[in-house]
Amino acid sequence: MTALASPPPDADALAALITQVAETRDRQAYAALFKHFAPRIMAYLRRGGMGAGEAEELTQEVMLTLWRKAGYFDPLRAGAATWLFAIVRNARIDRARRRRDATLSGAPPLEEADAAPSAESMSLVTEREAQLRSALNSLSPEQKEIVQLSFFSDTPHAAIASKLNLPLGTVKSRVRLAIAKLRILLEDPS
Amino acid sequence: MISHHPSPETLLAHAAGTLLAGHTVVVVAHVQGCAHCQAALTRMEALGGALMEDLAPEPLAAEAFAQVLARLDEPAPKPPPPPRQTNLALPSGLRLPVALRGAQIGRWLRIGRGLRYSRVRLPWAPEQNVMLLKVAGGRKVLHHSHGGMELTQVLWGGFHDETGQYGPGDIGEADETTEHQPIADPEGCVCLASLEGGLRLPWFTRLLGW
Repeated sequence: MTALASPPPDADALAALITQVAETRDRQAYAALFKHFAPRIMAYLRRGGMGAGEAEELTQEVMLTLWRKAGYFDPLRAGAATWLFAIVRNARIDRARRRRDATLSGAPPLEEADAAPSAESMSLVTEREAQLRSALNSLSPEQKEIVQLSFFSDTPHAAIASKLNLPLGTVKSRVRLAIAKLRILLEDPS
Repeated sequence: MISHHPSPETLLAHAAGTLLAGHTVVVVAHVQGCAHCQAALTRMEALGGALMEDLAPEPLAAEAFAQVLARLDEPAPKPPPPPRQTNLALPSGLRLPVALRGAQIGRWLRIGRGLRYSRVRLPWAPEQNVMLLKVAGGRKVLHHSHGGMELTQVLWGGFHDETGQYGPGDIGEADETTEHQPIADPEGCVCLASLEGGLRLPWFTRLLGW
């Protein structure tokens, strides 16, 4: 790609790069973002069962969306990975719909403009996301797997049921337990 | 004051993008008016971001970056124009949620005494069963249970059942294990509802001989 052989940028650096892209259309900043995010988006889509060709095409779409919508990124509201995750998720939903029926019109665009203003500071966002990461790492491997499958799979409950060999009815309560363990997700830190 | 929120599993499915399109519209309508769920949703999206960051990166084809660079100056695709919406007679002061922008909203159909129904068609997911319901004050619904998951967001007025009082902004979540007997408040109730499965009417209407 480019000669950016530095260590992977941390969350604050990624946020700063997106802001740079938004403000000055900086292609070097964009290259660094591509280098960091594209292979992870690719991995995420592949985990969800998408073929390599389609995953690569969709990754490119997502990276284009990043370029176009960088101006909507608000580092006081969410970290870079959080924001990008929402874009990937919406792109995947849209793709699944178009695959089912090519004549369907697209869903309305992301609700980027509807987001409530946030009173948090950027360091609070970073801190909150770091807390969340450590909560995630404190889960048992089985619970972590349930959370992962909840995100990565197109049909999470069925996937969890077959992977863990559980009746479908049990899965819902297992998911609920795993979420309860991640209390930090549900509790307002303020 | 909102006191009924989507269940954690439902909010998580929304964050992960696996919730049915019909339920998604109702959850979005709730979240847009609920700071508590907005914050919870952002935390769940942060969880998704953290999981994505933790995956072992998978390389793209060598020319992928050059291909994207070459497309940066292409104009962004235009979103489809919003469909024309019927001008529904609504209680004064009630505006339909922003989440319904882009949906085709049918006119009110009287489907029983004290009950009106408007079909909400999602052009991006026309098979989904979404509707607006207007229930007259004091209507009592027979005890009943559910086929699949049903979500009901109160837009105006309210109702109560064994699980509590539901006012504007509250969302009711029911599934095959739920059995209840809702009664509309004296001023009546306008709700946005989505039902899993084929076109059929929700618990509100069973009393009316459907």
